[in-house]
Amino acid sequence: MSAVLDHPAHAGGHAHDAHDHHHGPSGWRRWLFATNHKDIGTLYLLFSFTMLMVGGVLALLIRAELFQPGLQLVNPELFNQLTTMHGLIMVFGAIMPAFVGFANWMVPLQIGASDMAFARMNNFSFWLMIPAALLLVGSFFMPGGAPAAGWTLYAPLTLQMGPSMDAGIFAMHILGASSIMGSINIIVTILNMRAPGMTLMKMPMFCWTWLITAYLLIAVMPVLAGAITMTLTDRHFGTSFFNPAGGGDPVMYQHIFWFFGHPEVYIMILPAFGIISQIVPAFARKKLFGYASMVYATSSIAILSFIVWAHHMFTTGMPVTGQLFFMYATMLISVPTAVKIFNWVATMWRGSMTFETPMLFAVGFIFVFTIGGFTGLILAMAPIDIQLQDTYYVVAHFHYVLVAGSLFALFAGVYYWLPKWTGVMYSEVRGKIHFWASLIFFNITFFPMHFLGLAGMPRRYADYPMQFADFNAIASIGAFGFGLAQVYFFVAVVLPCMRGNGAKAPQKPWDGAEGLEWEVPSPAPFHTFETPPKLDATATRVIG
Amino acid sequence: MTAEQKKSNLRMALVLASVAATFFVGFMAKIILLNH
Repeated sequence: MSAVLDHPAHAGGHAHDAHDHHHGPSGWRRWLFATNHKDIGTLYLLFSFTMLMVGGVLALLIRAELFQPGLQLVNPELFNQLTTMHGLIMVFGAIMPAFVGFANWMVPLQIGASDMAFARMNNFSFWLMIPAALLLVGSFFMPGGAPAAGWTLYAPLTLQMGPSMDAGIFAMHILGASSIMGSINIIVTILNMRAPGMTLMKMPMFCWTWLITAYLLIAVMPVLAGAITMTLTDRHFGTSFFNPAGGGDPVMYQHIFWFFGHPEVYIMILPAFGIISQIVPAFARKKLFGYASMVYATSSIAILSFIVWAHHMFTTGMPVTGQLFFMYATMLISVPTAVKIFNWVATMWRGSMTFETPMLFAVGFIFVFTIGGFTGLILAMAPIDIQLQDTYYVVAHFHYVLVAGSLFALFAGVYYWLPKWTGVMYSEVRGKIHFWASLIFFNITFFPMHFLGLAGMPRRYADYPMQFADFNAIASIGAFGFGLAQVYFFVAVVLPCMRGNGAKAPQKPWDGAEGLEWEVPSPAPFHTFETPPKLDATATRVIG
Repeated sequence: MTAEQKKSNLRMALVLASVAATFFVGFMAKIILLNH
């Protein structure tokens, strides 16, 4: 995927007049020493897709084991390692880096900046992820196998595990440092480097959602780092923060973890909201309905995300007043979330809609993410949650939010901006095959899990009674179909574009799209907006 | 990027980094010192 244009057309006018030629390093040096935001964005996206495949293979091993009752392929210990590593890799290795990749590529382009504020730190943020990923994946080969305490790394399990837990903790520290550096970079870029005329309330929604997400990251990643540091000192330095044998409190770990963990959920979904807010207006050929309310709703969701953490812990025991507080606070989040859903629907209302692949994924996102939102509301009710805690209903809920939510939005964003990134139009037919295969197989995989959970099947078990066999078999078949659909996406959609096979993309392939990224040629030149562009009153066009 | 903007960027980055450091140290200090 190259962003370099040797002889770019001058369709972008002012945006690229001074530095069309890229004189930086080439070959492997270009990537290892990359300081260009587009190159680093590409690295993040390729890394996250690789981790998606690794996490996907672990998921398929889980589903293969659960295809029928009894133990067929893995023993229960390995099964616990698979569920733990699947969660960790998908959250920290696939979804989060993918959104950072989008931020690297699109934030400077959308605000008219020449690059990220700290280009070398940007390089460091990315390359820190490689040793962290190697530590995580390599932990499978350590004595005792990979961490198996669940992605939440609950004590006291973490205190009883082998050396791979130390590798896991170290990896999380590295990933946390990378995230904090990335967040600082994004905040400074957005607040300090916008082109003249790009006021905050004229900024594209994707930048707004990332600005808020970056603040969330800065607030909560250090809390996770603190929790796992205390786990480390409990393991090796004689403390007893979470070790009940020494007077520690494992439930305190859960409080600290979920103070990080719930905002983390929004870290993985707010940038997705931003992508959808870019795509829906483009294919409805209307302005985004309620722009200001979208900004306030995003901020409200971020603030509320700090006061709902204990809804993950209703069964640990807490006063009724505590249950009521966390239940009502959680339900309150549905208000700003509904504002966003209604605004997207209102944007589509009476629009001249067309359904190219980005819009299909965006509409699919709205439908399926909303189902995940509703099951979240059901789980927010303490009396119901106490029944459904740690059942497959919860697994279904968060996969509807994170796969149909975050992942579908990422796919929508890839299809939307791929012409800008590569200069090549992807195959619309292949894109639609990918969408329908993903949507259908996703629902085949995860919808039956609602029934399994309601019937009482617990999560994180390698075996189950015969009564759950049918729905598990269906879910496993769906999972393999979903996995194949993603391989198809890479082979049939992404690779041809990276290799330059396909129709040449125009500067603005979507006639309803607005924003500064469409003011530069496709593919985006290596250097863009080297001198701050002069913008029109709406800050969506370059006029000089 | 002008020298002034670089300086302004660095100042803001240090403020944000100090917020992150405060959360990290503060959370642990709270648990170590105030938990009984």
